[in-house]
Amino acid sequence: MGSFVGGALARRLERDPEFEAVVGLDTRRPKLELERTELIEADIRNAVIARLIPQAEVDTVVHNQIVRRAGPGMSPTAMHDINVIGTLQLLAACEKSDTIRTIVIRGSAGVYGSEPHAPQFFTEEMTRLFPLRTRFQRDVAEIENYFETYSRRHPGVVCTMLRYQPGIGPSLDTQITRYLSLPVVPTYLGFDPRLQFVHEHDALEALVAAVRNPVRGAVNVACPGTIGLTRMVRLAGRASLPIVPSFFDGATGIGKRLGLLDFSDDFTRLLRHGRATDTTRLVEEVGYQPRYTTAEAVEDYLRTQDGRRVLPNLREAVTP
Amino acid sequence: MTTPPRVDERERVRYEAADDDRAIGFLRRLREGLDAGLELPAAVSRGAAGLPGGLRDAFRRTTRRLDGRYEEDDWGFDEEFVEAVFPFFEFLYERWWRVKTTGVHNVPSHGRALLASNHAGILPWDATMISFAIQREHPLPRYPRFLVLNWAFDLPFVSVAMRKVGGVVASPYNAIQLLERDELVAVFPEGIKGAGKAFSERYRLQRFGRGGFVEIALRTGSPIVPVAVVGSEEIYPKLGEAPTVGRLIGAPYFPLTPLFPWLGPLGVTPLPSKWRIEFCEPIDTSDYGPEAAHDRTLVFELSERVRETIQQTLYDNLVKRGPAFV
Repeated sequence: MGSFVGGALARRLERDPEFEAVVGLDTRRPKLELERTELIEADIRNAVIARLIPQAEVDTVVHNQIVRRAGPGMSPTAMHDINVIGTLQLLAACEKSDTIRTIVIRGSAGVYGSEPHAPQFFTEEMTRLFPLRTRFQRDVAEIENYFETYSRRHPGVVCTMLRYQPGIGPSLDTQITRYLSLPVVPTYLGFDPRLQFVHEHDALEALVAAVRNPVRGAVNVACPGTIGLTRMVRLAGRASLPIVPSFFDGATGIGKRLGLLDFSDDFTRLLRHGRATDTTRLVEEVGYQPRYTTAEAVEDYLRTQDGRRVLPNLREAVTP
Repeated sequence: MTTPPRVDERERVRYEAADDDRAIGFLRRLREGLDAGLELPAAVSRGAAGLPGGLRDAFRRTTRRLDGRYEEDDWGFDEEFVEAVFPFFEFLYERWWRVKTTGVHNVPSHGRALLASNHAGILPWDATMISFAIQREHPLPRYPRFLVLNWAFDLPFVSVAMRKVGGVVASPYNAIQLLERDELVAVFPEGIKGAGKAFSERYRLQRFGRGGFVEIALRTGSPIVPVAVVGSEEIYPKLGEAPTVGRLIGAPYFPLTPLFPWLGPLGVTPLPSKWRIEFCEPIDTSDYGPEAAHDRTLVFELSERVRETIQQTLYDNLVKRGPAFV
């Protein structure tokens, strides 16, 4: 609930008469003003939720709490606990309830990894193509495994795993928005990965669409298409600092120690090899057509950041 | 008695004067712009406005690209980049390798199709020449996308250049997705075996793997156009191999040619052999239906047919070409 998408989802659902009651569960307060959403303050890692969820008699559960980046003061172990143990507790709690018909988890496309030899667009069945390389990737894979097992044991419950690409948008605070607000952005010398994002508008609407029309199994959520990192950095008006690949980790490590930046392993891999997913299933089965393409999502985001350019804007210069 | 300066001498003097004017004019306009209170980029642009056409366009293109305003498709293919390196390809095609292309009408002008070609040398010069041959000779030219050895995508710069000119990771998923978007896709069924064959084995086609490219064609109903390239197998005559070095740098193999690695970076200069490219009659696969992709016998049969067509065409063109280098 404390996140942008969680709060915005609650607001969307409470304004929709189709949903009788909306219950939110988090340790943090929501950022948005909510009208009729009941809030439960509880920790997802605690077994207490196994009593709370059956009491609420809900028919749809949306699990929105996969931590993508350890926030300030959050250890990697805590992040692992929230992600894996939290999901496990939540699924255990759902098992106790007999009113649940649908579970939607907002997971991550990070489970595919970032690979130089990957197909340009990952489809949903391609999770086993490459070994799991980072801790976050292993955590997401573990969550997906639990969820699949749950789904097999409860054929009456529709289990949807949404695999989200990194989000971009003015209300979001993600690794990529932080990266783009660095005055000088470090890049891998000689690499120009193809990246794919999901705009905050589409991130929310896709989640609403999945709650309304849940489908079984995994669904990629992204704005279609890709954008090259070089082009994106130029559009953002940032100066890029290409670093020889072997020194990249060392250099960003120094930046981290100085408190200038904080890249996760997944993010550095993304900056080198990129990742894109195929969104056919989202469009055809969930029935949600993203409003933006990835390039449009980036441009829309950058429009809100225009005052923060570092390099001069060449646009006026070129128009004769 | 004084002799008048020779004509080319006079020309040179005139050109130098013009160059001077250009530079001075540029600086003068730049200064005027700055004095008028313009910001630096706008002032530079104003200075550039007076440059001769070609220079001005290059300047505009560069500033536009530096601002991120250029098109790349979802796969990273950058048409503007390809057009910019055209003169270089043209030089290779016309002067260096003196390519002669036949049967280009066998490449469909629209819709999906799979080009299957023989392959030699670790750098995909043959792919670029096939692409350029279609640009040059075809009445309705189009850019083929080619499946590139995965190893290239580990390398800095090479990976970027590959994507920009239309290369994609050699994965069957990529081939299928591109064909479903009705693109023209080029594959090299010999794969790494073709790239690493010794000079003595030139123009002897290697095994075509498991016929994966035929499965792809069947599944997407794309016609297969066999392509025979003569000449590419002489550009890097592989005399030996250093497998230990290859393993050390993570390359699939480390070739030793007359120039490489003795001349360092210059060693990658391809030898100027004479080339012929022939596009053969397309093999239609749409009648079999997508289910036929599971029929092993049919897949092997078609794969063998493509292989024999290419092999036969290679021999024909070798005879037509005559000596390799003159």
